[in-house]
Amino acid sequence: MRVNPSMVPDILADMQQSQAALNVALQQVATGKSVNVPSDNPAASANMVANTIETGQVDQYTQNVTTTLSSVQTADSALGSVVSSLTQAVSLGTEGANGTNNSSDLQALAQQVQGILTSVVADANTSYQGSYLFAGTASTTVPYTADSSSASGYTYNGNNDTNSVAVGDHLSVQVSLPGSQIFSNSSADVLGSLSSLVSALQSGNTSDISSATNAISNALNYVSQQRVTYGNAESQLNSQETYLQQETVSLTSQATSLTGADEAQAATALSQAETDNSAVMAAAAKVLPDTLLSYLAIPS
Amino acid sequence: MGGLNTSLLIGMQALEATQGALNATSNNIANANTTGYTREVVQLSENPMTDSGNEITGGGVSMDGLQSIRDELLNLQIQKQTSLQSSVDTQSSSLQQIQSYFTSNGEDIASELTAFSSSLTQLSATPSNAAAQQSVLVSGQNLARSFNTTAQGLMSSQSEADGQVTQTVAQINSLTKQIAQLNGEVSQLTASGQNGGTIEDQRDALVQQLSSLTGISVTQSDGGETITTANGSALVMGSQSFSLQTTTGSDGMKHVLDSNGNDITSSIQGGQLGGAIQIRDQVVPGLLSQLNTLASQFATAFNAAQAQGYDSNGKAGQDFFTVPAGTAGSAAGISVAISDPSLIAASSDGSAGSNGNVANLSAALTTALPSGQTPAATYSSMVFQVGTDASNASTQSTAIAQNLLQLTNQQSSASGVSIDEETTNLIRFQTAYEAAARIVSTIQQLSTVTLDMGSTQSY
Amino acid sequence: MIAIGVQERNGKLEEHLQLLRSLAQELERAMLAISRNSLSELEDSVANQQALSARLVELADDVSAQLQDRTAASPSLIDKHFMEQIRSAFSTLQALNQRYSALLQHSSRSVELLVALFNSFRGQFQEGSGPRLKHQTWSCQI
Repeated sequence: MRVNPSMVPDILADMQQSQAALNVALQQVATGKSVNVPSDNPAASANMVANTIETGQVDQYTQNVTTTLSSVQTADSALGSVVSSLTQAVSLGTEGANGTNNSSDLQALAQQVQGILTSVVADANTSYQGSYLFAGTASTTVPYTADSSSASGYTYNGNNDTNSVAVGDHLSVQVSLPGSQIFSNSSADVLGSLSSLVSALQSGNTSDISSATNAISNALNYVSQQRVTYGNAESQLNSQETYLQQETVSLTSQATSLTGADEAQAATALSQAETDNSAVMAAAAKVLPDTLLSYLAIPS
Repeated sequence: MGGLNTSLLIGMQALEATQGALNATSNNIANANTTGYTREVVQLSENPMTDSGNEITGGGVSMDGLQSIRDELLNLQIQKQTSLQSSVDTQSSSLQQIQSYFTSNGEDIASELTAFSSSLTQLSATPSNAAAQQSVLVSGQNLARSFNTTAQGLMSSQSEADGQVTQTVAQINSLTKQIAQLNGEVSQLTASGQNGGTIEDQRDALVQQLSSLTGISVTQSDGGETITTANGSALVMGSQSFSLQTTTGSDGMKHVLDSNGNDITSSIQGGQLGGAIQIRDQVVPGLLSQLNTLASQFATAFNAAQAQGYDSNGKAGQDFFTVPAGTAGSAAGISVAISDPSLIAASSDGSAGSNGNVANLSAALTTALPSGQTPAATYSSMVFQVGTDASNASTQSTAIAQNLLQLTNQQSSASGVSIDEETTNLIRFQTAYEAAARIVSTIQQLSTVTLDMGSTQSY
Repeated sequence: MIAIGVQERNGKLEEHLQLLRSLAQELERAMLAISRNSLSELEDSVANQQALSARLVELADDVSAQLQDRTAASPSLIDKHFMEQIRSAFSTLQALNQRYSALLQHSSRSVELLVALFNSFRGQFQEGSGPRLKHQTWSCQI
């Protein structure tokens, strides 16, 4: 077999190549990407897997920061309200112990303190988007319910565990303290001390009233300290938010360098590919036999 | 007497030495998953001289004779490259399809791994939230499905290649019959003193076609033409043809048998047949195996993490994924075992609001599996492998096409006036190629400071 | 390390980009020459490639040194668009180089065979035409 020494194979090969180049250029402009299938750039495609996953994670971490910040701020706000209530209670207790009150005065004071106790319990039972903030990890249970057998009149239904929320690949932030630690701690019992003041005021015993008032004062300081945990969580979350923003920029930038087509360049490449293709087709039209031309649908 | 063969033999040995040196300068292509390319070695066998009027007498050869040998040599090169071209094109075609299963399209494994990871991270913030739990369940199902789809895709590519085997063998048998027939006619014509040139040309065209179906070895002797497969199984001997057969093996695939019934499947190289077999028996099984291992190990790791915690009902976490017992079929068979989102074991202390076990669930995705890499890194490696294979096949395809063009052009250009001139030109080509090979090496080693492909984020 | 101005560095990067593109063009030209079996075209192209790649190597080292020099402008001031173009041109060049390498391997083989063939007949040349050698008694298993 002897091959016919014509230029046909060369021309056909050129046409194929210029058509292929044209297709690639078209796709790049259309998708904005220079890597569409793994063979375009195997290393870039492989690296994009991690990039995609990490980008998804960073987006979710960012949302977690937002959600968690809200719940932390809600909890802190509730504690702020508790501090106000306790401050008021101390004031009432101090008044009650000053010896100038008659029986009905003391009863009136007792009622006010009872009201404060109820309000503080309501604060302890704060929920955010369906979860109780001070029940430990038993967030589907009401933290405090009335219990006549309990000294404070309330029993804690939550637990002593806490959740730490993932806000980064290597960062989880503790977002709460158990109610038992804040409100019914044996060394500074908020509910207990309020309840004691109510009883003391009702009984009229000045020394008892003083004791209870001191206990509330003690509890107030204690709650203020507990708020620090929430303050710290907030700080951490805010810092993390900034970090995540930077991560997002960095990941986007990486993604572009891995797969992105430079817009201006893609347009230029397309224009060039089109010019090349026209030239090749024109050259082909001059050389190829008519039958082949019509088969390939080249304008002659 | 052994002048021609001996000197050709010496020439071949010199060739092999140079070839080795050339190979060293560009190693990437050598790793390409193309059939038989790197295994093919140029050999020259000495045939006993026969006692015919066409025997080459020792010492002298005419220019015409040299031209004839040169053409024959180029012919054989074209044949060999045609086989290689077909094989590479067949594989390239399959690989384009195969890589589509690994291309990011929103429902591929990478996309679903992303969604699944994110859903777990969301659960960390709101462990008792029904929507967050549902999200984990659904994305888990989508992830399982992406494994199923990818495995099914691979199996369909394999099945397609299997079909090609059957088809190609039939085509081969048809051609060998025709070739044998023509050989017979040529013999008769020659015996009766007539010119069998036209028929020979016809036959040569068929042999060329045959070479695109499978790698062949062609030997001319006065007894006629002998064609075997690259590994030596008889296809044509003079006017007799030998059919290949196919039979379904225990692996469910079509095996190729020679005319004696020997299974020659794994030794077939070149041509569409070689390419299809390479895809069917090497490329796809390799990928499926990796995919199955990934699915199996990942499911096991995640289920173990489930077992470390408690679901919303306070019960110990049960299996989230179901996979077959062994590794085989894991990718095609992986599914989500639960349908109730509350069974997701987010809790570490038994209470419904605890997220303590979510960290363990997430860790199943960020911790190295027994095979050595995280799920994402394992999958990334597969993407890289598939992309590289597809890219190499495409590169080879174009390169071989250009080489074939060159061979064709070489054949149609008249041989030089003198051997010296011809040799000088050839040496100039050699020199140019050697210089070019050094350029190739320089470019490969060229690093640009701007080439920051981004460090692989430790996922 | 010597502090070099931003302008000078950008000038070098511009040259870098041009070199990458020119070299890519030369590789295409060389491959075309090979397929057409055009020896002088190939030699011409290879000569150009040698010059271009030599300059590239020189430049790459130079640019690398500059970017690591902290007294020069920081890398972030380098135009992002520009960086993308260089990265892209480099990628294109590497891809072409792969094909170039493959083609060279294939083509070299054939030339080696022919060289060996002709070498074996040096000094054995005989004038005049000989018998038709269609039916050889040698075989070449490739």
